[in-house]
Amino acid sequence: MNTSSYQSEFEKLLTRDYFSPKINPQRKNAFEEFLKKNLSKKAWDNLRFSNLSALKNNDFRISEVFDAPKKNFKYPEAVTADNYKIVFNNGHYQKQLTTLPKGVEIFTNLEYYGNRKNKVAQPTASPFDLLNTAFMDSGMSLIVEKNIEIKSPILLVFINTGKDQLMISPRIHVDIGKSSSISLIEHHIGLGSGNFSNSTTIFSLKENSHCKHIRLQKDSDQAINAGNIHLEQEKYSKYYLSHFGFGSSLGSIGVNSDLNGQGAECHLSGLCLLRNHQHLDTHILINHKSSNCISSQNFKTVLKDYSSGVFNGKVMVEKDAQKTDSNQSNKNILLSKNARMNSNPQLVINADDVKCSHGSSTGEIDQDSLFYLRSRGIDDKTAKSILIHGFVSEIFDSAGNLEIINFIKSDFDKWIEN
Amino acid sequence: MLEIKNLHAKVENKSILNGIDLNIKPGEIHAIMGKNGSGKSTLSNIITGKEGYEVTQGDIKYKNESITKWTPEKRSLHGIFMSFQYPVVMPGVNNTYFLKAALNAKRKYNGQKELDAAGFLKIIKEKLQDLKMDSSYLQRAVNDGFSGGEKKRNEILQMLTLEPSLSILDETDSGLDIDALKIISDGVNRYKSPKRSFLIITHYQRLLEYIEPDIVHVLIDGEIVKSGTKELALKLEEKGYGWLEK
Repeated sequence: MNTSSYQSEFEKLLTRDYFSPKINPQRKNAFEEFLKKNLSKKAWDNLRFSNLSALKNNDFRISEVFDAPKKNFKYPEAVTADNYKIVFNNGHYQKQLTTLPKGVEIFTNLEYYGNRKNKVAQPTASPFDLLNTAFMDSGMSLIVEKNIEIKSPILLVFINTGKDQLMISPRIHVDIGKSSSISLIEHHIGLGSGNFSNSTTIFSLKENSHCKHIRLQKDSDQAINAGNIHLEQEKYSKYYLSHFGFGSSLGSIGVNSDLNGQGAECHLSGLCLLRNHQHLDTHILINHKSSNCISSQNFKTVLKDYSSGVFNGKVMVEKDAQKTDSNQSNKNILLSKNARMNSNPQLVINADDVKCSHGSSTGEIDQDSLFYLRSRGIDDKTAKSILIHGFVSEIFDSAGNLEIINFIKSDFDKWIEN
Repeated sequence: MLEIKNLHAKVENKSILNGIDLNIKPGEIHAIMGKNGSGKSTLSNIITGKEGYEVTQGDIKYKNESITKWTPEKRSLHGIFMSFQYPVVMPGVNNTYFLKAALNAKRKYNGQKELDAAGFLKIIKEKLQDLKMDSSYLQRAVNDGFSGGEKKRNEILQMLTLEPSLSILDETDSGLDIDALKIISDGVNRYKSPKRSFLIITHYQRLLEYIEPDIVHVLIDGEIVKSGTKELALKLEEKGYGWLEK
C-alpha cells in the first residue's frame, strides 16, 4: 500500500485541536492497525470479496481552512421542508445553519470527549472504522434528553465539493435519553468528484428510546463513501435504519449493533443501486446479547454494467439471548451479465429457544413476470422498470415519510431510465 | 379472427405441437380439451408470444396478419389476451398501477388520451362490481397473497379492462369453487359479442356448462384429433380420452 500521503496527513492531523491530544494514542493505535492489516484478506476475513483497492493508491489530503465554502455558496434543497438541520461542508461545520429542537444539545467533539475524560471506546470492526478513528476531523455530537418526543426529523447534511481526493472523517455521537424518540436523516451530497467521505456514527440508545435513521448517500460517482454505524441498545430501545446508496465509485455501509437489554429491537433496510464499475460493501453484525430482542435485515441491490457488491450479514445469538426473533434477507437483481454480487448471510446461535431465519437470492429479472406484463401490452423497457420498482418498493416504504420517499424515488427513476 | 395452419412447435428441441389447424371466427367460442402434456398450454403460450418456443412449421394468423414474429406486447395491443393458468405473483407491484399502465399502453397505441388516476378509477370500479371484487383489490400487490379464485378473478378483471378481441382462457376453471366459477363465467358471458372470440382451454367439461362453446376440439399429443359440438365435451367427461387415442 502506498502510505506516504496517509502518513504525512496523519502527522498534520495530530497538530489540530478538533480533539484533545489526549486521544492521540488511540488515533495512533488505530492508524498502526490499519497499516499493519494492510487491507489484506487474511487480516479481514469478511473482505474476501471486497474491492477496496481505491484506498490503496491514493493521494488523500485532509480538509483545510481553504476548503470551507465561500460565503455565497448555494446550498441544495433539503430532502424535507419540515426539519431541523446540522450542515457540514467539506467537513466544516456550518454553525449559522444549525436549527435544533428543545431537548437536543449539540457539542463539538472536543467538548463531548472532554466531558468523558477522553475515555470513549473506539470501534475497530472495519478498515473504515480504524481510518475514521485515526483521521476523525469533523462532526458534532448530539445528546437528546430523556422523555421527549421529537417529531420533525433532524437533518445531518454532508456536502462534499472536494476534488483532489479530499478525505473527510466525521465522527458523530448520538446519545438518546430514556423514553425519548427522534428521527434522523443523514444526507450525503456529492458536488465535487474524487473525495473520500468516511463517517462513523455511534448511537447510544437508552431504555425505551426510539431512533429512526434514514441514510441517503448521493455522493459523486468518483467518490468513496463509507458509513460506519455502531449501536449500543438498552432494553426496549428501538432503532430503524433505511439506507439508500445511489452514488460513489466505492461505497461501504457497516452496521454493528449490540442488543444489550431485553426487548431491544434493531431493524435495518437498505437499497443500493450500482452501475459502471461501482463497488459496494455491506457489512452487518447484530449481537443478540439479551433475551426477547428482535432484529431484522432487509437489504436489496440492483446492479448494472460491470458493478459489483458484497453483502455480509451476521447475527450472533448469545447463550442468554433466549426468545430471540431475528430475520435476515438479502436480494439482488443483476441487470447485466457482467455485474457480480457476493452474498453471505450468517447465523451463529448459542441459545436454544430462538426464532431465526435468513435468506439470500441473486438473479436476473424474473422472466415469467416480464412475460406477464408484456402480455398485457406493456413494452419490455417499461415492464422491467415496473418490476424493479416492485422489487425495491418495500425498502422505500421503510423510510415511512412520503415527502422523503418521493425525493428518493425521483433519483431512483432517473437511475432506472439511464 | 384466428387462423392456425399446420402449426408445429418445439420446446428445447422436443416437439410439442405436431400440425395444429384451428380457425376461430369473430363471435365464436372454441374450447380445447386434453390431458396434461397434450400441448394445450404450449398452444396458448405460442399464440401470446412467450419466448422459449420455436415454431418450426406452419403459421398463426390473427385478423389476417401473421403474428409469429410479433412481440407479446404487440399481440396484446392488437387485441390478443390470455388469462393465465398460473397468474404471476408480483410483490411490490401495485395492482392499480399495473392495470393503469396496461390500459394506458393500449389507449396510447390506439391514439386515445391516457387516463389519469381519477379517470382510471371510474372505469375500473364498474368492472370490479361486475366481478364482485371489492376495491381493496386495487391497493394490493398483483396477485400477492391472493387465493386461487381471487387470482382468476383478477385475470378476468384485466380482460374486461383491456377489452381484447381474442381471449384465451387457459384453465381458468382450475382451483375455482362453484361460486367463483359462476362469477367468472357471468363476467365472460356478459363480455361476449359478435366481434369477440374466445379460446377456452380446459381439462373438464364443467366450465363449458357455464360458458357454452360453439366448437369443442380434442388435443392429443400436439394434434387436434377430433372436433365437434359441445356434446363432444360431455362424451369426453363420460368416456375419458382413451377412445380417441391411437
